[in-house]
Amino acid sequence: MKPFIQKTTTTALILISLVLSSCINLKHVNDFSTSAISSLSKFEDINYSFKQSCLDDCRDKNVNSLVIKDSVCNCDIDSKADSVTLLIYQSLKGYFDGLGKLSDKELTNYKTDALKQALVNGSFGTITIDRTQANAYSNLSNIILKAFTDKYRQNKIKEYITTANDPVKVLIHYLDLNMSNNLAGKLNVKKSLIKKSYEKLMKDSTINYADKWKFTNDYYTRLDEIDSRLTQLMTYSKALKKISEGHQLLFNEIDKITAEDLKEELTCFSGDLQNIISEFNKLKK
Amino acid sequence: MTNLTSEQVNQLANQFLAISNEIEKFLEINESTLSDQEKQKLDDLEIAILNDANKLFSLSASLVMSDVQTSLATINKVTSSIKSTYKTLQDIQKAINVATAVVTLTSAIISQNPQAIVTSTTGLADAWNN
Repeated sequence: MKPFIQKTTTTALILISLVLSSCINLKHVNDFSTSAISSLSKFEDINYSFKQSCLDDCRDKNVNSLVIKDSVCNCDIDSKADSVTLLIYQSLKGYFDGLGKLSDKELTNYKTDALKQALVNGSFGTITIDRTQANAYSNLSNIILKAFTDKYRQNKIKEYITTANDPVKVLIHYLDLNMSNNLAGKLNVKKSLIKKSYEKLMKDSTINYADKWKFTNDYYTRLDEIDSRLTQLMTYSKALKKISEGHQLLFNEIDKITAEDLKEELTCFSGDLQNIISEFNKLKK
Repeated sequence: MTNLTSEQVNQLANQFLAISNEIEKFLEINESTLSDQEKQKLDDLEIAILNDANKLFSLSASLVMSDVQTSLATINKVTSSIKSTYKTLQDIQKAINVATAVVTLTSAIISQNPQAIVTSTTGLADAWNN
């Protein structure tokens, strides 16, 4: 047994030194991915869509024309716009969700206590394994296992970030285009159109002061609603840009994925994203 | 003539919106000097441009699909690979659990304890299936 123990100990010592020198802690990647998911998911809290905008426009047109009818609004293009936007969002969410799970330290925290207990407590004929021996081998095997699986995981994460960086940037760009430019653009159009409608009402001399007062109040209420949605969309846009920058940083520093500088910078990005999430949550209230 | 891209249509939409804002400003500044007919004409023009801008924003958003297809395919493939790697690493715990169950079963067989054999066989089946 002694030469075997010596050989195993030497191998373990080599591996321990490898583990310590490459100290694979991916917490910063996990934190960034988690923050990215939390901010990306605010998409589901925005509660406005291209189709909704189209239906609102249809209704406003009927109201302005004083028409009451079962009109069918053609919102096909807006429905298509919503489908595309949703597809991009789900794709990005799936990627960051996967990256987060893969970089979670618990993934390679293997539980071998039950195996150790089974070895110690079991009876195997004339062979007995005492607790000290079982602990020693269990600890050695855990270190060896963690060294291999962590290195494997780290290499895989590097490979995925490298492949995904350009497509992530493209998808975030177009998600941002649809949300903070196209959808926001439709809201800005709406603002102008309702202003024109209410101005027309104000100019109507047959409408009394009290009603005009109500219309004025109504106009500002609708304006506040639109401005609130616009602020949500702009806040979401800030988050998307941060996620893109953070992922670019990971890509740029991919060979130094465990370096302290990268950890600090990425922690800053995670912090910024958390602030944007808080900002967004305040808007919802 | 090639089709417009989503970004080109978006630019058009923003330009239409800007034009409508300029018409509105012109109307406000020249309120007292324009005739009712002129004001009405400009109003109608402004509303028409706004409605066109609205349609262009929707069109731009729908055209995004052709710009993102390749990227979507790549990201979905990467995500699929990530899930596969994750499962591989999870399977190591499963392998440890199965090994534990095998050791327990072996011990039960050696000790010739029927009850223990039955219990540990069930344990092995559970470890394998989970």
